[in-house]
Amino acid sequence: MTAPGSSAQDKLVLASEDEARELRRKMADWGFIESQPPRIREALKYYIEKGDLYVASRIAGVTVEEFNELRIRARIPNVA
Amino acid sequence: MSREIFAIADTCFLIDWSRYRRRDTLFRVFRVVFVPENVLAEVRSESTIAWISRGLAEDRLSLYTPTRDELEEARMLVEESRLQPRIPSIDLPEALCLVVGRRRGYVVLTENRGALLAPLMLSEYRGVRVWRALEIILEAARIGALDVDCGDPESIFREYSSDTLHIFPRRALESAVEELGRICRERRRGS
Repeated sequence: MTAPGSSAQDKLVLASEDEARELRRKMADWGFIESQPPRIREALKYYIEKGDLYVASRIAGVTVEEFNELRIRARIPNVA
Repeated sequence: MSREIFAIADTCFLIDWSRYRRRDTLFRVFRVVFVPENVLAEVRSESTIAWISRGLAEDRLSLYTPTRDELEEARMLVEESRLQPRIPSIDLPEALCLVVGRRRGYVVLTENRGALLAPLMLSEYRGVRVWRALEIILEAARIGALDVDCGDPESIFREYSSDTLHIFPRRALESAVEELGRICRERRRGS
């Protein structure tokens, strides 16, 4: 399998990743996150870093929909 | 008014979309939206279960059971995404949707960044159409399935953002709002 993207395209992708991560970090309710049990807390932090709902729900040990509700309670935006 | 025929939605997209007050708009843009079977295990709330069940009963949603071959290609795609540091990781649920999109021509509905970038970064998936909520709302406006407030075209996206705590990337949003402005101007000229 080949990856045809250019380095300019790579820079754009990285920039948009950074922008999304920064928005999630900035808008998150950190008080809520830190008050959660360890699995949920770490899953929310993972989501802030990666923006991956599916993997975050697996870390938390809940369904994707349940994790999505936790994300909203933690005021973390889905940036996509 | 023209409609796309088939789409396949990954779990994360469908769960995000199901909170949108105009969620049935999806069925005016696509004739049938396939959902992989694992989606059902990821849903808990009565409202979402009721929406999906109704969609299945009315043949607007349909379960998608992958073949062994499709799953194998999806696993290869997951591996490839792990080997390419410049591609955000792709997991099996969205990889499967990309494979189905490539093989069957379905529009792939996802919010996963790796999946959104796959057509740009992986030559085998170059022709796959991958849409987020942004593209669906824009298409719905284009075909008249959603009303646009031409005095404030961005409001159509703000509504979705407010229901789902979803933020559209700035540049993509600006371009979509510009497109809505163009649609509004065309309609004014036509009326």
